[in-house]
Amino acid sequence: MVSVTIKDLTKQYGTCVAVKDLNLEIKDGEFFVFLGPSGCGKSTTLLCIAGLVKPDKGEVWLGNELVTSPERDIYMTPQKREVAMVFQDYALYPHMTVFKNVAFPLEVRGEDKGEIMERVKATAELLGISQLLDRKPGQLSGGQRQRVALARAMVRKPKVFLLDEPLANLDAKLRVKTRIELKKLQQKLGVTTIYVTHDQVEAMTMADRIMVQKDGVTEQIGTPDELYNHPSNLFVAGFIGSPEMNFIDCTLIEEGNRLWLDAKEFKIPVPAKIVPELKSYIGEDLTMGIRPEDLYERESVKGITQKNALRMTADIIEPVGPYLLLHLSKGRCPLVARVKETTARIGQEVDIEMDLSKIHMFDKKTTEAII
Amino acid sequence: MRSPKPRRVILYILLVFSVFLFLLPLWACITTSFKTVKDLIYTTPVEPPLSPTVAPLITAFNIMVRPLLNSFTFTVAAMILSCLLGSINGYILTKIKFRGSNIVFLFFTIGIFIPYQAVLVPLVLTMSKLGLYNQIGGLILAHTAYGIPITTLLFRNFYGLIPDSVIMAAKTDGAGTWTIYRRIVLPLSLLPFVVAAVFQFTSIWNDFLFGVVLARGSEVQPASVALANLKGTTEFQWNVQMAGTLWYALPVLVIYLILAKYLIRGYMAGAVKG
Amino acid sequence: MFTKDRLITSLFLLLSLVLVGHFVYFCIGWNVFVSLSDWKGLAPSYNIVGFDQYLRLFHDPVFLTSLKNNLILILLFVPGTLFLGLFLAILLDLKVRGEGVFRGIYLLPFALSFVVTATLWAWMYNLKIGVINTLLGKTGLEFLKSGWITDPNIALYCVVLALIWQFAGYTMLIFLAGIRSIPESQIRAAEVDGASGFNLYRRVVIPQLKAPALSAFVVLMVFALKAFDFIFVLTDGGPGYRTYVLALMMFRWTFSKNEFAYGAAIATILFLLALVIVVPYLYLSFRREKE
Ligand SMILES: Nc1ncnc2c1ncn2[C@@H]1O[C@H](COP(=O)(O)OP(=O)(O)O)[C@@H](O)[C@H]1O
Ligand SMILES: [Mg+2]
Repeated sequence: MVSVTIKDLTKQYGTCVAVKDLNLEIKDGEFFVFLGPSGCGKSTTLLCIAGLVKPDKGEVWLGNELVTSPERDIYMTPQKREVAMVFQDYALYPHMTVFKNVAFPLEVRGEDKGEIMERVKATAELLGISQLLDRKPGQLSGGQRQRVALARAMVRKPKVFLLDEPLANLDAKLRVKTRIELKKLQQKLGVTTIYVTHDQVEAMTMADRIMVQKDGVTEQIGTPDELYNHPSNLFVAGFIGSPEMNFIDCTLIEEGNRLWLDAKEFKIPVPAKIVPELKSYIGEDLTMGIRPEDLYERESVKGITQKNALRMTADIIEPVGPYLLLHLSKGRCPLVARVKETTARIGQEVDIEMDLSKIHMFDKKTTEAII
Repeated sequence: MRSPKPRRVILYILLVFSVFLFLLPLWACITTSFKTVKDLIYTTPVEPPLSPTVAPLITAFNIMVRPLLNSFTFTVAAMILSCLLGSINGYILTKIKFRGSNIVFLFFTIGIFIPYQAVLVPLVLTMSKLGLYNQIGGLILAHTAYGIPITTLLFRNFYGLIPDSVIMAAKTDGAGTWTIYRRIVLPLSLLPFVVAAVFQFTSIWNDFLFGVVLARGSEVQPASVALANLKGTTEFQWNVQMAGTLWYALPVLVIYLILAKYLIRGYMAGAVKG
Repeated sequence: MFTKDRLITSLFLLLSLVLVGHFVYFCIGWNVFVSLSDWKGLAPSYNIVGFDQYLRLFHDPVFLTSLKNNLILILLFVPGTLFLGLFLAILLDLKVRGEGVFRGIYLLPFALSFVVTATLWAWMYNLKIGVINTLLGKTGLEFLKSGWITDPNIALYCVVLALIWQFAGYTMLIFLAGIRSIPESQIRAAEVDGASGFNLYRRVVIPQLKAPALSAFVVLMVFALKAFDFIFVLTDGGPGYRTYVLALMMFRWTFSKNEFAYGAAIATILFLLALVIVVPYLYLSFRREKE
């Protein structure tokens, strides 16, 4: 088990920049997630770590060993890296039985028969696929195949696990179940794990830390908590959390000795706590963000100190399990609020309170977070 | 019972008439092979023999047996060699990324289309230099070399269907280039091997040009050349000629009856008759 | 980082490259070289005389006849085979019972050796007791009897006819695959729009067969240029030079008359003509693959 360090990694396909100047340090034993929309370079990064793709520039370290560096002409083949990878399509060998599939990494390393038998059995036991060992991949369900792929990766006790969207091809229910099992398994084995997904819920529930990528560029690295509560830019703020954070375009103005966020349809007073950070932006265009759960219906508000009421029209009321989503609008400004219950009726007006201590502010031009 | 529409009747009449046209030469060949000289004169070629005889078949067999064995030897050898090399090339061209792989592919592809006349003189010179003129070895070498382009194309098309992730998985599992070929790619190649083998067998077996320039009139002459000679020497013994034709065509006919499906896949893959 | 594993694989590729490199590319170059020499007779001579052989060619009536015959072959055999193949493909597309059997029979001649088919057609066209003349006699069509391949006026057409018979199954196969790759829903939509029968094929199906038609076209063109075995065995160029073609002339002059330089020049011309057809086609298909 080792740490993984990446410095200035860049990979281009023709004119398409798949990964650009990536810097990253993954700690020993960490469960690390690459998160981002499809095509943002997650898989490419993973393949660079595995040695399956040669980057144009940059370094990859496994522990203290430099394994990739085009500048210094260093490239260790994937065969020698002792990393294991699980692919989105599982990449099982279709002509081999499950036993042979799992045994393959041991066989090509020349382990002896008895040892192979023992370890394949133990791994199969761990993943609950013992009864499938004689079958061919074609005779397995999606979930079973996924387990065989995991078993093949785990059987040789690699230094690092690389998982490329391993749950993407499972149905929703199985995905949730496997998510939890996978997390448990990783904690038990303690192997450094890099997990690629485009599903932010998966990332938030499993990761120790997450890197959010977009168009080959790192947007933010942090714990799930940091990403949720302190997104460093508009993209991360919008990508993480469901339903999505509300964004309101506004201008910062000074009126009567106070700072206001002027959103045309309404004006919101800037809470005293963040005035110092915002002061230099007077007269500029900003984007305010507020999560749906930080909006309340006036009746239900208790114990919120800094608040601001807006009168809005309820367009749609959408029940989602324990919550209701209120789709609201005022003029051309839409908002979504997540509430436990509501007195609002469709087409009628309702008073909404905003928890001003929870607002996020972004510079509209650079999209970077201000607070 | 519904009576069939007149249009469908015309359709089937056309189809069956076409069958008659397409099979007529073959049918005439088969009937003639079983005829005595007398029957040859007293029956039309489409009628079955009045007194069937296998004498023409035996005569023709005695003439053709040695060339048939020659053909069989070099056809099987060159078929195996060209399939193996084509398979490895196909693997390298689809699963190993290297600069210039497109050029290499083009290099092979052009070989499919060249008219062999353009290499005949140097081919003969090469074979005499190597001491392979009028030798089975020369025929094996020529058919292997000129078979590589098409087998490479066939295998490349098939290997394009094996997901790259399977190869990547094998790499991270610790398998090297050759091990991956042997343990993963080769076991998945049964279908392309059958297609390429059937295609190569029929092409090499059917060849006349290389046979006539590399082994004409020699001990090792192929069946195609022997049959052409037979035609020249037995001008009026049509029954023997047709019997010889039947012997020579027999392996291909058998393959066609059993494995037409695979041969068709070969034709579809852009394979060209030379 | 050339591992042993990698080395084995590379050696195999190298072997193929050497074989194809020598037997295709080097030999083509060598042939051009020979064509520029004055090599005549059994002992090789590499005395370079430039384009003499080529100049000689264009005053040689046999060469001009052969060239003309190749041209006729291209003009009759190529479209004939394409049309007959398309016709058969459409017939078989009309939900025919036993389609597989019909397809198998039409394609059968294509699988056979040219030596076989040439021998078969020699029997078909035989003057005295051949299949065609006997059948004509028996069906009271005596007046249609003919010398066929021995008749100077129609010998070449007889060759073309037999070749169409051999290749029609192949074009049928290519067209049928093309027709089958048109989505069913499109055909249904066209039917709803009122197209049916002949119109359906003319307006919806046939316009979409450009790609298969092109690849079949190239295969047939190249064949029509280099046709040799079939003609060699069936007519050997006769009667006179009526069915002589370039490949046959090249063979005769090289290997019977030992005019190696002259034969090499004919071969070079054949090669260049083939390039004219193949290069644009390869360029197109490579570009398509890249997209
Ligand atoms: N082998 C390749 N050739 C060309 N472009 C590629 C290749 N692999 C990936 N790309 C491009 O690089 C970008 C990043 O791809 P990828 O890393 O697979 O994204 P993700 O895994 O995040 O969906 C995409 O725009 C993709 O089109
Ligand atoms: Mg991906």
